[in-house]
Amino acid sequence: MTLIPEFQAHRVFVEPWTTELGSHGLMALVTFLVGATCGLIGNFLILRRMALLGDAISHSVLPGIALAFLITGSRGIGAMVLGAMVAAWLTHGLIELISRHSRLKQDAAIGIAFSTLFAIGVVLIAVFADKVDLDQDCVLNGELPMIPLEPPVRIGGWVLGPPPLLRLAVVLMVSLVLLVTFYKELLITSFDPGLAACLGIRVGVIHHGLMLWLSMVVVASFEAVGAILVIALLILPGATASLLTDRMIPRLAWTTVHAALSAISGMHLSVALDCSPAGATVVAGAGWFCVVWLFSPTEGLILRGWRYRMGSVDSRLRSPELSQHSETP
Amino acid sequence: MNSRKRFGGLLRWLEPHVALLIMVGTGLCGLRALGAPLAVCATVGMVADLARGVGGQEVVVEGLMGPGVDPHLYKATSSDLIRLQRAEVILYGGLHLEGKMQETFQRLSRSGRRVRAVTDGLPPERLIRVGQDGIVDPHVWFDVELWSRCTEVVAEEFAAARPDSAVGFRQRAATVKQELKDLHQWVLTRVATVPKPRRILVTSHDAFGYFGKAYGFQVVALQGISTVTEAGLADMTQLTDFIRSKGVPAVFVESSVSHASLERIRQDAGVKLGGELFSDAMGTPGQRHGGYDLGTYQGMIRQNVDRIVEGLK
Repeated sequence: MTLIPEFQAHRVFVEPWTTELGSHGLMALVTFLVGATCGLIGNFLILRRMALLGDAISHSVLPGIALAFLITGSRGIGAMVLGAMVAAWLTHGLIELISRHSRLKQDAAIGIAFSTLFAIGVVLIAVFADKVDLDQDCVLNGELPMIPLEPPVRIGGWVLGPPPLLRLAVVLMVSLVLLVTFYKELLITSFDPGLAACLGIRVGVIHHGLMLWLSMVVVASFEAVGAILVIALLILPGATASLLTDRMIPRLAWTTVHAALSAISGMHLSVALDCSPAGATVVAGAGWFCVVWLFSPTEGLILRGWRYRMGSVDSRLRSPELSQHSETP
Repeated sequence: MNSRKRFGGLLRWLEPHVALLIMVGTGLCGLRALGAPLAVCATVGMVADLARGVGGQEVVVEGLMGPGVDPHLYKATSSDLIRLQRAEVILYGGLHLEGKMQETFQRLSRSGRRVRAVTDGLPPERLIRVGQDGIVDPHVWFDVELWSRCTEVVAEEFAAARPDSAVGFRQRAATVKQELKDLHQWVLTRVATVPKPRRILVTSHDAFGYFGKAYGFQVVALQGISTVTEAGLADMTQLTDFIRSKGVPAVFVESSVSHASLERIRQDAGVKLGGELFSDAMGTPGQRHGGYDLGTYQGMIRQNVDRIVEGLK
């Protein structure tokens, strides 16, 4: 038995787009939908230095799940998702409370909030539901390869696709609408809350709204494709895009491009290695990040090194901190 | 503004096209050569073994979860997806053993595909319920007699998929059932050699409820069924005291659960390690030990019972 299957170009590159389009191709489409949605929000999280919030939420949903189970007595997905969303929202509330009313910064507050909530979840399960198989992975987090298996929704004579795909498409559409509607507010509050307040934008409302939106998107994505993919796709596309441009709209466009490239190359990687598609997609996404990091025409390591060697002042001036401040909304 | 509009439009354009291609794809998969063996996909090893026994030469069984894989931690790969899509019959353990996958299976079953939990036909009064909410313990296979009843569901499902071979499936199901009943008798006689007060099975996680109920063991587990909660300090002390006060001669670790905590307790209590038991996964096919093929259900049960009997005698 070999660990890595023999490489067959036809199986890896052609079949996913022909005979296996309904399975592998569909998986790539689902990954793209998750990547685009999470990546768009992720951009604002990165600007607010809250990029790890997704990771935090993946843990802190546990008490929500446990309480939903204790209240309803079932492991039905509706109750689990609702509990998880409430817990995600609560995580953000706790982070706000700690960072606002103490000298601790966001990162420390995130650390305190999610570990506390996770621990509460563990205690709740140990005390009230010890005999029940209850954790994120078995009641909430979905699996990417299971989605193409779901019986498709049919309306009239049309086959629309499996329900999780449609749900994720709706989530992406709603996210796009929210983004277009509140673009200016999101941008100004992310860069300069002080200026935003002066302009009469209610910074708090926008922030809470963003977090509510994030909670819903993240939990809906967990339910469809599992935690690791969502955590990674909140950060990687936005981070990669931020190395390519300083302006927000091109950045959002690059985010989508990165999501698409990660989805497609991850799918091929997972077929080639016969491994978990979620894991392969994250590896592929990180690969694209590295490519951009090295070769970016504005921020790339190679370009920086070359500029430095040429003695250009420009390369030392263009540190990330400076370039962020030079950005105009 | 323009770029966002374009992406939204692209998606709306893509959706019906992708859906159409999916429809064509699954349609093509549906065209199968007649007379080919029935393609069966089974989740855990125990179910795959049952399917092989009942199906004989007329089915090809592919198992999803390999040896040593904890079903709670299983992650599907892209080829698993293809196996599941191609399979004419999907068999799974049910009772929430496969976690969230089970919901997908149930929806598939309602949509008309042959997807069935082997534990479907078991009498409800024989199932162990935990807590007042009636959540069922899924580790049914450790009561061999109860597990033997699952053969009927498998035969039923195969017969429905291949009506021509129905007689053969039913005959083999009866044979397998008889074999398992013999195995049940064998376990009973083996277990009878352990004195009653010594029939206490201390294990890492709560997988042996059915074994205890069927063969008269008191089962004490360090962890609950869920693996997210670790054993507390109080649990460990309590268990150590329990082992000492009852004079339990040995404790048992499991092949798919970490050994560390139970090993610690074993040292504190000063008892011997009865060896490793198979709980949620079987061994590798062809891996032989003491004359048993550990990759089969029968081999797994015999090995477990031998270890338990040797350890506690």
